[in-house]
Amino acid sequence: MTSNKIISTASKEGRTALTEIEAKKILTEAGIACTEIKLATTAKEAAATAKKMGFPVVLKIVSQDILHKTDVGGVKLNLNNEDEVGKAFDEIMKSAKKHKPKAKIDGVSVQPMAKPGIEVIIGMSKDQQFGPVLMFGLGGILVEVLKDVSFRIVPLTKRDARDMIKEIKGYPILQGYRGHDPANIELLEDILLKVSEFVEKQPEIKELDINPIFAYKDGALALDARIILES
Amino acid sequence: MEDALKRLDRAFNPRSVAVIGDKMALGYMWLKAMSHFRGNLYSVQIDEREFPGIASLGIKNYLKLSDIPEEIDYAVIAVPNTVTPRIIRDCIDKNVGAASLFTSGFAESGTDEGRRLQETIAQIARDANFNLIGPNCMGIYNPRLGVRHSMDQSHGRGGNVAFISQSGTHATFFSLVGPLNGIYISKSVSYGNAAVLDSTDYLEYFGNDAETEIIGIYIEGVNDGRKLFSTLKEVAKHKPVVIWKGGTGEEGQRATASHTSSMAGSPAIWDALIKQCGAIKVDNLYELIDTTKLLLHARPVAGDRVGLAAMTGGQSVVITDAFTREGFKAPLLSEASYNKFAAFFQTLGASYRNPLDISLNFPYLDRIIKSIEILGEDENIDTVVLEISVPFLKDLSWINTNLFDTMIEAVADFRKRCAKSFITILVSGHAEQEALEVKKKLVAKDIPCFASFESGARALRKVADYYQRKSSL
Repeated sequence: MTSNKIISTASKEGRTALTEIEAKKILTEAGIACTEIKLATTAKEAAATAKKMGFPVVLKIVSQDILHKTDVGGVKLNLNNEDEVGKAFDEIMKSAKKHKPKAKIDGVSVQPMAKPGIEVIIGMSKDQQFGPVLMFGLGGILVEVLKDVSFRIVPLTKRDARDMIKEIKGYPILQGYRGHDPANIELLEDILLKVSEFVEKQPEIKELDINPIFAYKDGALALDARIILES
Repeated sequence: MEDALKRLDRAFNPRSVAVIGDKMALGYMWLKAMSHFRGNLYSVQIDEREFPGIASLGIKNYLKLSDIPEEIDYAVIAVPNTVTPRIIRDCIDKNVGAASLFTSGFAESGTDEGRRLQETIAQIARDANFNLIGPNCMGIYNPRLGVRHSMDQSHGRGGNVAFISQSGTHATFFSLVGPLNGIYISKSVSYGNAAVLDSTDYLEYFGNDAETEIIGIYIEGVNDGRKLFSTLKEVAKHKPVVIWKGGTGEEGQRATASHTSSMAGSPAIWDALIKQCGAIKVDNLYELIDTTKLLLHARPVAGDRVGLAAMTGGQSVVITDAFTREGFKAPLLSEASYNKFAAFFQTLGASYRNPLDISLNFPYLDRIIKSIEILGEDENIDTVVLEISVPFLKDLSWINTNLFDTMIEAVADFRKRCAKSFITILVSGHAEQEALEVKKKLVAKDIPCFASFESGARALRKVADYYQRKSSL
């Protein structure tokens, strides 16, 4: 199993933070749709990968030592041709080295630019008394400023998943607001259940963040993911 | 050796009780609290200065627990904390059903010494699989058998509500305030620091207790959250569990640490726990009482539509505000209902739309009863709410007359006939003394009454949510 292998490799290397590429492999295996992601170690390779994927693409720094990629200038969005990709690659590497000179950098990931959807987040953390707990919320400012999130203790039932989505104040946004497309709620429930099932099976995982997930009328896609292992 | 759960059952339904270490300095509070115990009561005390005091209570004293010539089902320990390890060993040797440790000065003291001592007694109890309640607690209350932890508590009449309380004060208050509201206790336990037995163990016990139909909990923290999660989920499937969580803010959590050495935990996770398990959350003693009362004395709430009967126009407005603020709807009634009203209802300065403004129809008892009957039969209504206005009754000189008793009789009769949930709001206004008398009469007839529109609406919300969740499982 991919996830077992990734986790055991990381712990052998003494790492607790998985890279985005590793996290997405694990989530994909758990049945959660993620944006396609490929590692590139040179600007040339990044450009070629992007061309194969189709434009526009996103480039993101890949390093076990960099958890907050935007803080180090490690993310470039909406790149429309090979030239832009090559330039972005160099800028990301330069900026990351400047901000985190000691970080071990694997390269840069190339991912297709996802079409806009409703941003949601799903997280897992461990409560001292109750063990793994899932969090659900709308992404961006709603979670950061208004703390509009809901919690449930793992394992979740289908009903728990439905309730925790309905419970947030921003729920009407998911139902389709002023002509915007609604989100496929059942699919979001399904993701919550899959995360619940998966964290129950992998007690080595200490924290997990899928942020953001883009929710669409007919699908849902994880754009970024972060997994921290127990030390 | 019989298993721990059976021994716990012996302690909750004891035939014999030993009080170890009660003394004059405590006012012999334990021996006095047990004075109505229906089984055999013994004292264990080695200090001869206490002998006359114990003898004057008519209670036989022994120097050692092992000297008592019969099996002991429940022991209360009130000895100094340093002596507790030896006394707990004595209880184990005597095969006592359970012992509750009133003594404090353990983990809740925040000292290393206290924590070590708690670990010592917990280890002794765990090694012997012994039921240790506490320390730092008031232990068991069984009103039917007269097992009490306060002389103020009633004895003789048992009920069907169990209460599990981490605090002795809340256990006592609930047992005192409950009967004033028609809530009678099957058994309750105050369990303090939970060194060995925790809320989960009592929950499991009451979940299986045939006398108990509803379980209330006051809780500050838990040792094994996963176990509480799975047990609560199971128990709440067949008995309503009402949970009052103490210590929800940062300052409150500091208080729980020094009160029962509990880790209070995140309020958001406790909320999630209660919702996920299908329990009911309350935030204070009065919500606990109101919610329990509604569960006990009203039929299951089928939905969110209320039929509101107020005594005056002003009250008809604010009763509607109170219930709609809690998410209820006060829909218009059916055509059939309006036809029925038209036949008798005096509409001058009054209204029967919903909310009802009874006003000038009031002096006619039959019109009030007919009005709530129509609400009860209306297909658009799930719960009937009747305002009982004490100032109004006082003005009409109905209080302390047969008229008033006849009214209560008729309302009680309606409650039995009505197929839907029915509650009353007792508005006191300035007539507080009279309101107390009225409340007593309502409670005696099992008519659920609430002190304000708001508290009634809040309790109805909690109970309606409970039934809605249950019916959609």
